Amino acid sequence: MFEFFLKRKLVRVAPALILVSAFLSSAPVAQASTKPTRIISLSPSATEILFGIGAGSQVIAVDDNSDYPTNAPFSKLSSFTPNVEAIAAYHPDLVVLQSSATGAANVQAQLLKLKINVFLEVTPNNITDAYSEFVALGKATGHPSLALALVASMKSQIAEIIAKYRKKSPVSIYHELDNTLYSADSSTFIGQIYSDFNFANIADAASGADSGGYPQLTPEAVIKANPKVIFLDDAPYGESSSTVATRPGWSGISAVKNRHVITLPLDIPDRWGPRMVDFYRFIGQATAKIN
Amino acid sequence: MSTEHGAIARIWNWRITAFCALILFLVALAAVSFGPISISFIKVFKTLFDLPGGSTGLDRTVIMQLRLPRVVLGILVGSALATSGAVYQTVFHNPLADPYLLGAASGAGLGATIAITSTHHNLSGALPIFAFAGGVLAVLTSFFISGKFFADPNSLLLSGIAVGSFATAIQTYLQQRHSAALRPVYSWILGDLTNANWSVVAWSSIYIAIALIVLFMVAKQLDGLMLSDEEAYSLGINPKKLRIIAVAAATLATATAVSASGLIGFVGIVVPHLVRGLTHRVTNRSLITIAMAGAAFLVLADLGARTLLSPAELPIGVITAFVGAPFFLVVLRNRRKVSQ
Amino acid sequence: MSIVITDLTVRYGDKVVLDDISIDIADGKWTCLVGPNGAGKTTFLKVLLGMAPYSGSIQDKGVEVFKSHHRNVAFVPQHPQIPQGMTVAEYVMLGRSKRDGWGNESLTSRSYVHKVLTETHLFGMQNNLVAQLSGGEMQRALIARALAQEPELILLDEPTSALDLHHQISVLNNIELLKDGGVTVISTMHDLTLAAMFAERIVVLQGGKILLSGDSQQVIHSPELKRAYDNRIDVYTLDSGRPVVVASKDRDN
Repeated sequence: MFEFFLKRKLVRVAPALILVSAFLSSAPVAQASTKPTRIISLSPSATEILFGIGAGSQVIAVDDNSDYPTNAPFSKLSSFTPNVEAIAAYHPDLVVLQSSATGAANVQAQLLKLKINVFLEVTPNNITDAYSEFVALGKATGHPSLALALVASMKSQIAEIIAKYRKKSPVSIYHELDNTLYSADSSTFIGQIYSDFNFANIADAASGADSGGYPQLTPEAVIKANPKVIFLDDAPYGESSSTVATRPGWSGISAVKNRHVITLPLDIPDRWGPRMVDFYRFIGQATAKIN
Repeated sequence: MSTEHGAIARIWNWRITAFCALILFLVALAAVSFGPISISFIKVFKTLFDLPGGSTGLDRTVIMQLRLPRVVLGILVGSALATSGAVYQTVFHNPLADPYLLGAASGAGLGATIAITSTHHNLSGALPIFAFAGGVLAVLTSFFISGKFFADPNSLLLSGIAVGSFATAIQTYLQQRHSAALRPVYSWILGDLTNANWSVVAWSSIYIAIALIVLFMVAKQLDGLMLSDEEAYSLGINPKKLRIIAVAAATLATATAVSASGLIGFVGIVVPHLVRGLTHRVTNRSLITIAMAGAAFLVLADLGARTLLSPAELPIGVITAFVGAPFFLVVLRNRRKVSQ
Repeated sequence: MSIVITDLTVRYGDKVVLDDISIDIADGKWTCLVGPNGAGKTTFLKVLLGMAPYSGSIQDKGVEVFKSHHRNVAFVPQHPQIPQGMTVAEYVMLGRSKRDGWGNESLTSRSYVHKVLTETHLFGMQNNLVAQLSGGEMQRALIARALAQEPELILLDEPTSALDLHHQISVLNNIELLKDGGVTVISTMHDLTLAAMFAERIVVLQGGKILLSGDSQQVIHSPELKRAYDNRIDVYTLDSGRPVVVASKDRDN
């Protein structure tokens, strides 16, 4: 009885096995040397960058988390759990895929099997890495000089902002991710932006607690550190300067007393596209009067 | 089932098994035929069996490189989990036992977390090995903790709970210290067949096939484990040895399934009951049928996972839970009816 | 099956549970093991099941037969593990594994089970679940399974302890059915009266040693029996000649 079952299985698998060996002996997929004209972006940051470097007209679909620019071709494709077949149905010639997506390596392998080129976008650790990705995207989409120009422009704008708003002596700050006091230390992208302004990040004292750069602080530690500025990244979850002030013991914190609790705009801190300039400007202006 | 004069009717009818094989075949065929890219059923059939007129190019690659390995992996994992669940239910005299009982799930999860949070990036490619090792080590630890290697089922169960809790605690601690690992670990825990490709199918099929063959060979004798040890001895089996063999093979199957596809829940509990409930038989001769039913169940669930919310992937654990949870209510209701 | 036991000793760790036992179990007869709790009765049965390692020898016609569990020995436990969801027919069919191999449902086996179910008056209940049987029906099912094995030796561990009087008698009558087939029967029992009524031989165990053994009538009336029970029993003989053993109150001694 069981041999019958086994044979059945073999019969079904045999054609696939033949194909597998045929595939394995064929040549690897060659890289495209021409400009891609059917680009799919599965990364909100990449979407912004693509439109910023002049590749917008080549983009045929962007993922369900992308929301800027508002005239991008939005679709239901998922950035976190990409479905290879659904992507292939668009017949793209380049897919920008986040390396942090679920099963990204496998998605990439499968897309390559379908002869679709993949640009693997790695979340940058700092702004220099971000600029490198801009340039790489520029090369991959046929706009190398536009990308370089964008990078140069951003660099100079940001340098201006920093020159104008950088603190002469360190100003202590606390960046809040949620009301259980998860914070971001200086190893994170946003932490480095804060460092550019010469802010002293109180979360650095706890940075050993999380290799990813997001330690959870205790209320006592925050009160003791007495930051001069508090940045709230959890406004969508109901936090604001008034809710923070009601937390027991917090009313004595310098940032709360002097009303330097700043609610960050949505999205922009999480994206590392051309709008980073806007974020730098926002931080600079919001903290201009604080010393 | 006809009754010959002077003889009772057969307890188990192998026609049920044949019928289940047919169902599995049809389900697999259907699963390969559906997806975001629509390809006609005839073309799919012709492509699969290398008949003239099959698909070429993109369509062919979609069928043979994307859909088919995924369906085959679903068959492997589904049959591994369902069979292990059935075996554990018999060995532990517990209708609610599942393949992850002796700490296998938590051990595998810990292994996967270690692989993902490891600072050496190339280690995360070895995730299946870590998950496999974690699962097997957890079960072995359960055996040693419970005191004797030929331990009785109840103390094994308790040590499995202890080992599982401990592994989960370590895993949670690691995740807290490496927040970047949260998302990948979480999605691994939910389980999915999206990583299916022919090389995963190749290595997982070896271990699962070995485990299932062993279990199918001892299936008939497993009925003896439903009785007390003395009764089993009188009927000619060594229940201690048989328990070890059965648990070892079931653990091998489970650990392989988990390292290939994460922690897919409910298959191991639901499918054995489904088969036993529909056939009104509890004999372990149903093991082959349970394996095939598990395969069909998972292939169908995976079809849902990749088409219901297309173009996003629904975690397959969500679908099996949606089916599994109400199923428990049905089982509960039947038990109450029976005891009245 | 004749059983010649010589110098049988069973140890669990440092504890000696059976101490140098030598006895011949009569072939085709019903032997009842009696004795206080902890005397080693259940261990004795486990040895014959091939479950307990022992030193000494147990032979059938000169062949050492009980070192493994490969003899056809049926066992009727005091506390069976009742499988959920199994029908009576399937439960009894499990007994055929010895003669027919596991899971084989040859016509021979199915006919034999049919016969056995009829003899034990379970035929009408064959599709009922074992889990739903009453105490007496469960005992009959156990005996039916033992019968289905066509065994050489049947061991019964306290077959009547959990039953009411009416069922005790019917179970013991069923066991006589077994014996009529020429099978050797060994049972352990608390109830000396019933033992004397049904068994042909009685063996009294105490502290792992055999205190008394022989024809049941002789054993029942022997003064050493009273000593085995700390002089707390009285043996009366009814007009029909049947002995009745009752516990006596301490104050009467």
